Amino acid sequence: MKIIDLLKTSQKNLVRSKLRTFLTILAVIIGTFTISLTNGVGNGVKAYINKELGNVGVNNAFVVQARAPSEGPVGSDVVEYDPKTTKGSFGNLLLTDKDLANIQQIRNVASVIPAYTMQIDYISTGSAKYVASASQYTQGLNLAMAAGRVVDSNQADEVSLPIRYLSYLGFANANDAIGKKLILGYKNSQAQEVEKSLTIVGVQEESLLGNSSVYITSAEAQAVSADQNAGNANLANAYPMALVEFDENLPQAQIDELKSTLEANNYTADTIQDQIGMFSKVINGIIIGLDIFGVITLLVAGFGIVNTLFMAVNERTSEIGLMKALGANSKTVFAIFSLEAASIGFWGAIIGIALSVGAGKIANRYASSHFLKDFAGFHLLAFPIPNSILILAGIVVLAFFAGALPSVKASRLDPIKALRYE
Amino acid sequence: MPVISAKEISKIYETADATPVLSGVSLDIAKGESVAIIGKSGSGKSTFMHILATLDKPTTGSLEIDGADALKLSSRALDSLRNRKFGFVFQQFFLNGRDTSLDNVALPLVIAGVPLGERRRKALEMLTAVGLSEQAKMLAANLSGGQKQRLVIARALVTDPEVIFADEPTGNLDTENGKIVTDLLFGLQKEKGITLVIVTHDTDLAKLCDRVVHIKDGRIVA
Repeated sequence: MKIIDLLKTSQKNLVRSKLRTFLTILAVIIGTFTISLTNGVGNGVKAYINKELGNVGVNNAFVVQARAPSEGPVGSDVVEYDPKTTKGSFGNLLLTDKDLANIQQIRNVASVIPAYTMQIDYISTGSAKYVASASQYTQGLNLAMAAGRVVDSNQADEVSLPIRYLSYLGFANANDAIGKKLILGYKNSQAQEVEKSLTIVGVQEESLLGNSSVYITSAEAQAVSADQNAGNANLANAYPMALVEFDENLPQAQIDELKSTLEANNYTADTIQDQIGMFSKVINGIIIGLDIFGVITLLVAGFGIVNTLFMAVNERTSEIGLMKALGANSKTVFAIFSLEAASIGFWGAIIGIALSVGAGKIANRYASSHFLKDFAGFHLLAFPIPNSILILAGIVVLAFFAGALPSVKASRLDPIKALRYE
Repeated sequence: MPVISAKEISKIYETADATPVLSGVSLDIAKGESVAIIGKSGSGKSTFMHILATLDKPTTGSLEIDGADALKLSSRALDSLRNRKFGFVFQQFFLNGRDTSLDNVALPLVIAGVPLGERRRKALEMLTAVGLSEQAKMLAANLSGGQKQRLVIARALVTDPEVIFADEPTGNLDTENGKIVTDLLFGLQKEKGITLVIVTHDTDLAKLCDRVVHIKDGRIVA
């Protein structure tokens, strides 16, 4: 028989017992829908994280902190005090200028940028003041900008602000804010309110991974920090962490070596990806958990296919006998039935994937107009075509295997016995 | 040279008593001949026909088709042989009621892998030959008993077979329809020079054949 005739025959057989076929396909649809949807969520979140990782952009740097000597849990030895150390908030050791100088000496270190401790109280464009926080902008960090650009460390008095402040500060839109003045208010070491006027050069998109603060240059951060910590010898030249940059073409072996050197010198060194990677792991764990439900449904659907095919073989025994008597060989009979099984998988998977994409579109529309309103570029669900094809192929293969046993039974029928079956 | 030559065919089913269904049956069938195999129910006549048609294998004996040893052929070769050389007419019709008359007649051609257009043309030709051209688009289930048997004959003839095996071709029909079917069968047989092997218990039908072979208790008696 020609392949086209095999296909036609199997499709024709499929619609013979419509209700039975529908119910079998329905089980496949439910399983596919579940798997496609959970993968959709996973892909959506992962795509967003990858985008954000791209946003972070600093691939050639470690976040370096001083490693605190353990105070030791109960029962372990008490550690002797070292007067050279200084503790910041949360009991973390702070980095000093001496640390920075030491790190700068390590081979392959290109630059060391300390993070300055500073705290602003509000931002304002005139009368009304709004609570805000400020972050020190690191060169190379890619922020998604709604308008303008990120601050330039070579320029004085620059600031970028998150999009959500726009209307409060009296700006019509993102472009309207560019070039205007923004006042940052903070308390100096004498607890007096100080205001600093900066020029807005950019407006940041909202993001999940936290750039909801205004960004200022390292020089501005240093100035604020100096003002706030003046007279406090502990904090004036101490930093909670530093960004240690290396050459972006540095081979992985040397990056690893640099990391171990830093760790040998009692610093912790993590890339930004290391820190954000944790987030991906948690998401993956949740997705796999949800996928298990879909897989169980599909297994049940697989048994449904086995059952449906066995019933079909029994119903069509005399027909199989006739076909064999008329010269159809075992392979042909096997092909007709296994194509029918694979078709159940195929149609179920196609409908299931289509439904999940439809549901995903509705969910995305709802999400982006409600709880994800401020997160530009975040689609709750994403359905990359290669993934959907993989799901489709997997289910067709599963259905084929489910149909293998009944198909073999059909192909082995003795035509004489089959013709006497009625 | 006979089309089919069976020698000393025996068939024993593996049951408790192991009584032979056929014991040492020999028969040569010449090309273009019509042979009736007649016998009572349980005489082994149907089993003999199945063996002649390569649908069943004998326990002992030899079977030559066109001079070649049919028992040594692979099952694939036998499938192909049945498809090309043999046509079958069954008492129970074995039609697919959900398909049209045309599709039912075309089934052996579908199995042979004949292209769609040629399939249609040949099937329609055969339907016309048995007087069912107007019923070509009708579902087989909606045909009368006589029409169904004519459809089965059309299906048996569509591949231009050399031999037609007919198992009780008039068994399910009344006298009038039985006559129509036998006229058709013998008419086409003579017209096309086809070899006809009929299994029946109907002596009137058997008389129409060139030769009658009586089978009783697994042996040829006359």
